[in-house]
Order: sequence, then C-alpha cells, then structure tokens
Amino acid sequence: LLTEAGFESAEKAAVETLTEMIQSYISEIGRSAKSYCEHTARTQPTLSDIVVTLVEMGFNVETLPAYAKRSQRMVITAPPVTNQPVTPKALTAGQNKPHPSHIPGHFPEFPDPHTYIKTPTYREPVSDYQVLREKAASQRRDVERALTRFMAKTGETQSLFKDDVSTFPLIAARPFTVPYLTALLPSELEMQQMEETDSSEQDDQTDTENLPLHMSTDDSGPEKENASVLQQNCSLAGS
Amino acid sequence: RMNRKKGDKGFESPRPYKFTTHQVVCINNINFQRKSVVGYVELTIFPTVANLNRIKLNSKQCRIYRVRVNDLEAAFIYNDPTLEVCHHESKQRNLNYFSNAYAAAVSAVDPDAGNGELCIKVPSELWKHVDELKVLKVHINFSLDQPKGGLHFVVPNMEGNMAERGAHVFSCGYQNSTRFWFPCVDSYSELCTWKLEYTVDAAMVAVSNGDLVETVYTHDMRKKTFHYMLTIPTAASNISLAIGPFEILVDPYMHEVTHFCLPQLLPLLKHTTSYLHEVFEFYEEILTCRYPYSCFKTVFIDEAYVEVAAYASMSIFSTNLLHSAMIIDETPLTRRCLAQALAQQFFGCFISRMSWSDEWVLKGISGYIYGLWMKKTFGVNEYRHWIKQELDQIVAYELKTGGVLLHPIFGGGKEKDNPASHLHFSIKHPHTLSWEYYTMFQCKAHLVMRLIENRISMEFMLQVFNKLLSLASTASSQKFQSHMWSQMLVSTSGFLKSISNVSGKDIQPLIKQWVDQSGVVKFYGSFAFNRKRNVLELEIKQDYTSPGTQKYVGPLKVTVQELDGSFNHTLQIEENSLKHDIPCHSKSRRNKKKKIPLMNGEEVDMDLSAMDADSPLLWIRIDPDMSVLRKVEFEQSDFMWQYQLRYERDVVAQEEAILALEKFPTPASRLALTDILEQEQCFYRVRMMACFCLAKIANSMVSTWTGPPAMKSLFTRMFCCKTCPNIVKTNNFMNFQSYFLQKTMPVAMALLRDVHNLCPKEVLMFILDLIKYNDNRKNKFSDNYYRAELIDALANSVTPAVSVNNEVRTLDNLNPDVRLILEEITRFLNMEKLLPSYRHTITVSCLKAIRVLQKNGHVPSDPALFKSYAEYGHFVDVRIAALEAVVDYTK
Repeated sequence: LLTEAGFESAEKAAVETLTEMIQSYISEIGRSAKSYCEHTARTQPTLSDIVVTLVEMGFNVETLPAYAKRSQRMVITAPPVTNQPVTPKALTAGQNKPHPSHIPGHFPEFPDPHTYIKTPTYREPVSDYQVLREKAASQRRDVERALTRFMAKTGETQSLFKDDVSTFPLIAARPFTVPYLTALLPSELEMQQMEETDSSEQDDQTDTENLPLHMSTDDSGPEKENASVLQQNCSLAGS
Repeated sequence: RMNRKKGDKGFESPRPYKFTTHQVVCINNINFQRKSVVGYVELTIFPTVANLNRIKLNSKQCRIYRVRVNDLEAAFIYNDPTLEVCHHESKQRNLNYFSNAYAAAVSAVDPDAGNGELCIKVPSELWKHVDELKVLKVHINFSLDQPKGGLHFVVPNMEGNMAERGAHVFSCGYQNSTRFWFPCVDSYSELCTWKLEYTVDAAMVAVSNGDLVETVYTHDMRKKTFHYMLTIPTAASNISLAIGPFEILVDPYMHEVTHFCLPQLLPLLKHTTSYLHEVFEFYEEILTCRYPYSCFKTVFIDEAYVEVAAYASMSIFSTNLLHSAMIIDETPLTRRCLAQALAQQFFGCFISRMSWSDEWVLKGISGYIYGLWMKKTFGVNEYRHWIKQELDQIVAYELKTGGVLLHPIFGGGKEKDNPASHLHFSIKHPHTLSWEYYTMFQCKAHLVMRLIENRISMEFMLQVFNKLLSLASTASSQKFQSHMWSQMLVSTSGFLKSISNVSGKDIQPLIKQWVDQSGVVKFYGSFAFNRKRNVLELEIKQDYTSPGTQKYVGPLKVTVQELDGSFNHTLQIEENSLKHDIPCHSKSRRNKKKKIPLMNGEEVDMDLSAMDADSPLLWIRIDPDMSVLRKVEFEQSDFMWQYQLRYERDVVAQEEAILALEKFPTPASRLALTDILEQEQCFYRVRMMACFCLAKIANSMVSTWTGPPAMKSLFTRMFCCKTCPNIVKTNNFMNFQSYFLQKTMPVAMALLRDVHNLCPKEVLMFILDLIKYNDNRKNKFSDNYYRAELIDALANSVTPAVSVNNEVRTLDNLNPDVRLILEEITRFLNMEKLLPSYRHTITVSCLKAIRVLQKNGHVPSDPALFKSYAEYGHFVDVRIAALEAVVDYTK
C-alpha cells in the first residue's frame, strides 16, 4: 500500500503500526459483519452484511469497485496451497460405544471406554479403627525416631550414660539468640492444623453449647455466677 | 518550727522544707551497645520553710555531672551508704549484724524521712530568694552506665542493628526504685506532674506514662524524641519507661488503650489483649468510677523482672504471658495478670500511699477488687477455692516463719520496738523485706479486706472505694495546689475513718486483731453427741503459744448438717470456754425415708446406712465462711467426711473432706471419691484433687484392693474408644473440665504402688499407650500441656532402683521398664528441638523426669545436661527447671 501511495521506504516501526491498524480494521469489519448476520438469525454473513458494516464504519462503498480496478495495484500472488497435515489417529482403547437411538448422529462420539468404565476392586480398604490408629501411631513414632536419630547422628549430642552415647542420644541443647520467639509462637505445623480445624469449628461450637458447662454444685450464688473459667474460655476461644 | 497550717485532712509531709511540684525527665541518649543512658532532670521545688539551704534527693548508680539551682552552679555531695553496708566490719560477720546495718543504711537515705543519697547545697545567692518561699528550679545532668538495677537492657547477641535484633530496655524494680535511673524524690507520697522526653533511634518506640504529646524527628531524621505529659500528680516511684522496636496495637474496643509487644508477636498480642476491655468494664462498674488516666498502655517485654508491674497509666508485663488461641492453660493465668495490673491502676498508681505502713490498704484493696473480678469471671467455686488457697498459704507461712504484720508502727527506739523480732530482716522498709514475706503480706492484706467486707457488706465496701477515688479525682484536677494533692494518698487512719463514716460500724476489734497484730489462729475441734440431752458437745481448743499464732476472742460460726436440715450457730469464743453445747434440731431416725434439706435449700436422698444410728449428725463445719484467718483441725468420723464430700455443696468443704479422707483408707472412702470423680456437675478442681487422694488411699489399701488399678476403668470409660478400650480417643479439648481431668488422672495413677512398692506394670503400660496413641491432628487446641503431664506421669511411676553393692549405673543393668520410659523421654526431648512446644513445657517435664531417674539411681547422677540447659539463651522456664535440678544435687 505504501509503494502505491508513492513511498520508497518506511521505518520498521511505521510499518508495524500500519499493519496493526489494518489488522484491527479488518477484524472490526469481520466482528461487525458477524453481528449483523447473527442479528438476522443467520450463521453465514452475506455481502449485504459487509456492505452495511462498511457503511456503518463511514466507508464510502461506491468507491470500492473503482479502487479494486485501479491500475497501479500490486498483485500479491497467493501462497502455494500446502497439503493439510494428517492428524495422527488418537490412541484408541476398546470399541467406542455407538450412539443410542435417541441421540442424533451428528453428536460427537463417545469417548474411549477406559475413561468412564469402572472396574470394581475386590480388596476391602482397611477401615478397622484399631488397626488404623495403631498404624498412624507407629508410623508417626517411626518417623519421629528416624528423624531425631538422624539429627542426633549428624549433630552434637549429649548422653545420659557416660559409657554409651548411641542408645539414648539427646540432641545437644543449643541456646537461642531470642529464646522467647520459639517458645511462644506456634510452629508452622500447629498453624496449619489450626487452619484445618477452623473449617470444622462451626460444628464444634454448637457442640460445646450443649455441653454441661456448669462445673459447680455450689448454689449459694445466683446461677450465672457459677460460670467457671472454662465457660468464659469457651466463648472466647471461638470468637 | 513548722508554721504551715494544715487542713483537717492535711497531710504531714515528711519533707517540711520542700515540695516538688513538677518534674522534667529528659533522656537524650540511649546506647544499647554500651548499655548507657544520658539525660537530665529538672525539679520545681517550693520551699515551705525559710532558711532552706540543703535539698536531699534520691539517686542510685547515676553519675551526676552538674547541678544547677535557678541557673546557678550548686555544690553537691553524693553518698550511697547501701554500697558498703558493713564498713570494713570484720569482727561481727553474722546475718543479724548485717541486717541491722542494712536497715540503718536504708533509713539514712529514706525519702519518707526527708533523706536522700544526693545532697545539694542551695547557693548562698539564693538564700534570700528561699526565705521569701519562692520557687526553685533544680537542674541535674546525669548519666547511667551498665545499670545493675532499675533499668534493664535486653540486647540479643546477633547480626543487625538494634531494632532488627529486638533490643529493648525497660524500667523495673521492687517498690520505689526509680532512683536507679534518674534523680528524684523516690517516695510514693511525693506527688508531682511530669514531662517526660526520650530521644531514641527512629526505629524504636519509647513508651512512658501519660499522654504522648508529640514525636519529633531530629534534623538528620535518624532519631526521634517522644514527648509525654502526665498531668495527674504522680509519685516518682510510679514512673516507668520501655523502649524497643515495639509492634503497636490500638485496642479495637477502647481506642485510648494501646498495646506494645516485641517484633513478630503481634498476632499473639491481639489474642491476649482481646479480653482486657471486659476487665476495664468490670472495675469501672463496681467502683462507679471511670478509669482515672486518659490512656492506658500495656507493654510486653522479655526478661521481665516480675510478671506484672503497674505504673501510672501503664503496665509492664512479661512477654511470656502472650499466647495464641490454641493454648488453654495459659489463658486464665494471663487474664489474671491483666486484671491484677488493672486493679493496681486504681489503687497503687492513681491512689498512692502516705507511708510504708499504709501499704497494706492499697495492696488489700487492689487484691480485693481483683478477687471480685475473679468471682465474676471464673465463678463462685473458683473464687472460694482461691480464697481457701490464699488462706492456707498465709497460715502455713505464719506458722512456719512467724507473723506477718500489716500495719507496723515504728517507735523512735531501736531493737526493743522491733515489731518483727522473729524475722532475720527488718520490716521497716520495703527494701529490707524478704520477697516471700512481701508476697505473703499482700496475700494477707486482701484476705483482711475480705474480712472487713464480711463485717460491713460489699455495698459499703465499694462505697468507701468510690469515695476514696472521687476525692482523689477532684484533687488531681486541681492545679498547682500541691497540698490538695495529699487527697490522692491513702493512709490507714483515713481509710478506717472512711469505713466508719460510710458504714457506721465499728471495725476496730477486727483491725486490732488482723492489722495491728500479726499471727493467725489455730483451732483444734472435736465433738461428742449427748443423746440424752440431744445436744452436740463441741470442744474448740486454740494454740496461741506457738510462733505465728495469736489468740482469738469473738464470734465463730459453726454449721451443723443434721437429718432435718443444716443449721448455723454462732459461738462466742472466749478466754476460758472450751466447750460449747449446741442443741440439735432433729432426733436420730434412720428408717424413715425422707429427703434431707441442705444449706442451699436443695433436698437430696441419701443412703443413711453408714451413719451412727444414735446420732442425727451428718457433718459439722467450723468457720465455713473463712471469716477468721485460721487453720482448723477438726475431728469427725470417716462417714461424716464422706457425707460432707458427697453432699455438701461448698467446694471448700469438699476439698477439706478429701484431705481428711486420706487418713481413712476404706472401701467407703474409695466409693465416695470415685463417685465425685465421675460427677460432671462437680467442680473440676475438686475432681482433680480426688484423683490424688484416691491414689493415696489405693496405696494404703493395696493388700485388699480389688479390681483394676484405681481410675483406670474410669479413664477408659471417659476418654478411650468404645470399641477398643486400650486406645485413647483422638484429642478434643473443647470441654475444658474433661481436659483438666484427662491431664490429671494419668499423673495421679502413676503414683499407685503394688505390694512390692512398685508402680504396677499395667499402669505403666497404660501411660505408655496414652503417649503412643496420642493424636492431636483434629484438635483445635495445643496438646503440649497434656503431653508434658504424661511425661510427669512417667516420672511419677519411677521407684528407686534395686542396687546390688552400689554398682555403677550403666546401660547394661538398666531396668527394662526404665528403658521404655527413657526411650519416650529421649524422643520427646529430641522432638522439642525440631517442633518446640509452647513455653517448652515438654522440655521442662523431660528435664524433671531425667532428674527423677537420676535420683532414683537408674541413670548416673550427672549435672552436665542440666548445666547446659541452665545457660543464658534458653527459654526462662527451661532454665528454671534446669537450675532446680542442679540445686537438687545439693539436697
């Protein structure tokens, strides 16, 4: 277009800007034409849709044929048609189920059976409470022991028996620079736990309200005076 | 010589020659690295007599550079006699000599006697000025280097600047110790208004008394100056300071209240202080008086001198009181500290004392209103339990060390007038007292206030407090009329006068007995029932010859529970009458089925088969309301104690019954205790106490004991899974009564012993299983205290090792049970390094348990481990536990 208009060269930035403008102009024509066509309940835009669009965008349609037939236009040859790449066949497993009679044929096919068919297993998962608790307890214990032993082996230790340093290895006491921080702040594990239990808090709260919170049998004062420390605590802990 | 006319309520100043009205304290440089402070003070003084030529002030450990009076250089002498108490005395090296010399040294600088360490000569040019009684301005430049007391620096040894390191400094001390950090008249009775200025690093915050007027940056923007104004007349001893890189929280309920804590602790601060406004509301309501200062600040600092320190409009707390919402046990303790601090704001800070011998009034009132808060917050049961505990404490202390005198009057004489000759220290000054004595003094003071309440009613009591506060309030708003300010000081006589004005009652005998005189009462009671006359013959003896005791004469309430109901009798305890006949209301009858009315009007069915067929008496209580400071040893038969435990509704009575039942190891006692333990309506502390009594009884009955070990089936029923009784349920501590019981029962069970005096294997395995299956994943609360108590339980199960020929303790001859225990302790202690528990409760329990194992000869006795845990840099609770273990080697 620039050469048609008589330019010999253009800066790269200018070309880019122009390209972008053309791009957005063309896509606006397309978007608008599609709207007009949809407005009249069609799916394919017709020539008249385009014309209306161009008119709407302030373009003089009359000038279009003349412009198309202008003498100095440059013809850009169409790019050679390349063969459509063959889409590799999706891996199929088993026979796809044919559509039942009530589903029209143009609907997509069923997915492969392995994606929705269930295979029942015949081994019961362990649900026995005692076994579960036992397992959780020993698992935790093993982890803790392994971890602390590892720490003890790799670091400094103290021992209760002078003759034996390996049976009951104690990780050496190390003073902190700011001792109160570790002592007061909850550990990350506890924080995480708190968040988890928070979700179930709602139920817990209603539970406690039903609990008998009056620990007293002293009726000498009015009923409300008998509230115990714990009662106060309860209501506060939840708030 | 003194011409000043005093009003009828006038206050006789100990310093008739001068009167501070306004003081400026300016600290313009604080060096955390060198732990030093530089600043000046400026005192405005009104001479009250002519020819005043010397001004005495208090100052300790400060280096004084320069003193100017009205801009004229003044000569001064600095002498602190407490630095060298015994003056090269080489002959008499004993405690008595030291104590006397020390008391004399403290007297020599006592501000209440007009003395001081710093003596300033008024320049002669000003003598004429003084004779006209015109104002003097005394300007003192001072510095402080590595203070040993009064001001405490906490400087963690790590990288970064002081703010990043969390370095901070705060004022602290015991009684009037403000002289440790700036020159002043260090007395509670010398009130003045204050202007306080602190220049600190821009990253630091200075917290002090009164309103923060402004903060001004220095030119280079690296420092800023905090200006505080305290317009309410306040004693120097109530001035405080805290400087550090504090995180600041404005109380969401009361905007005039601000909380400060060390970096990273803000979430804990939010939770901990979220309750404070309720305490405010409570005190303001009962005292019908607004909080006297325009603002209130709480500061939580590390290495606190005491857990709670109250100063004018500000309190300094230990940072270890902070806790998150997951912590159960610390919550009530911290709230108590907050409430205590606030009570002292009214009585102690706003209202100050006239002299040291009036201290009991302030401590008494603040302790008493704190008690009222306890009653409202934690309930009547907790309150009565606390009163009983305090009473037991003071009684035990006085019987052991001698009397505690609330209102000592000091004559001019020396040795002979010493009202506390049984003590190894003088009670003439707060600084010469033992700490323990002072703690007991405070305990007694609030108990005596409660006795006064018993006499004149709570309503009058609160009216008296309100009167004191409103007088002080009016006085505090008066400007420059410093003689009016004495209304803000309370004295014993003023307080008693106020009581008699308000109530119209004569409480003089009560005051004479408990305030002017030391000692407690020791009663021995026994009784016989005279069937013919249907009379209860009660014999009450007193021991008033042992140290720490005194004779009681006056009314004594006795409550007798009979078949037909509960009856109160007031006996007159007199000099020679020991026996008292109390007529009974009911005839003995055991076959009639009828409900028995109790004191509170409740009617209950009782199984009367245990009682004596001839007597209608169920149980008897001496002084049930604790209206005498006493110890009662009362004899009644075991079944009476059992009835008292089961049916008396007062928790104190229940606790007394439990204590008495230790001496009656019978199946009936066992049943009564087990029933109480199971009763959910019963106060949780009583149930906890029943656990330990049950363990003792079980041990006494070991040869005849049937069934599983005591409490085991009960614990299983309450806390274990229905389907597999050997596994404890996953933790759920929502019900706090159950939580406390769940913590206590294993500890008590571990005290059980079999016929060989060993802890039964079954019990040990049971506790080990509790540890093994402990699962806190679904719990809303931390289980650190629970786990710590399980370790305590393990330690309780340890019995002395059987040693052959004093063999050396090695791993090879380790008892297999001890091996199991040691394995748990090792694991717990090591896990603490990776996932530390709150306040390191588990480490503390582990250290204690290791010491128990050493002491019982299972593990070689070696203090090395404890020494390493006792080092600086460990959490304070851990250090204390380690130090206790080290000290234990000397025992």
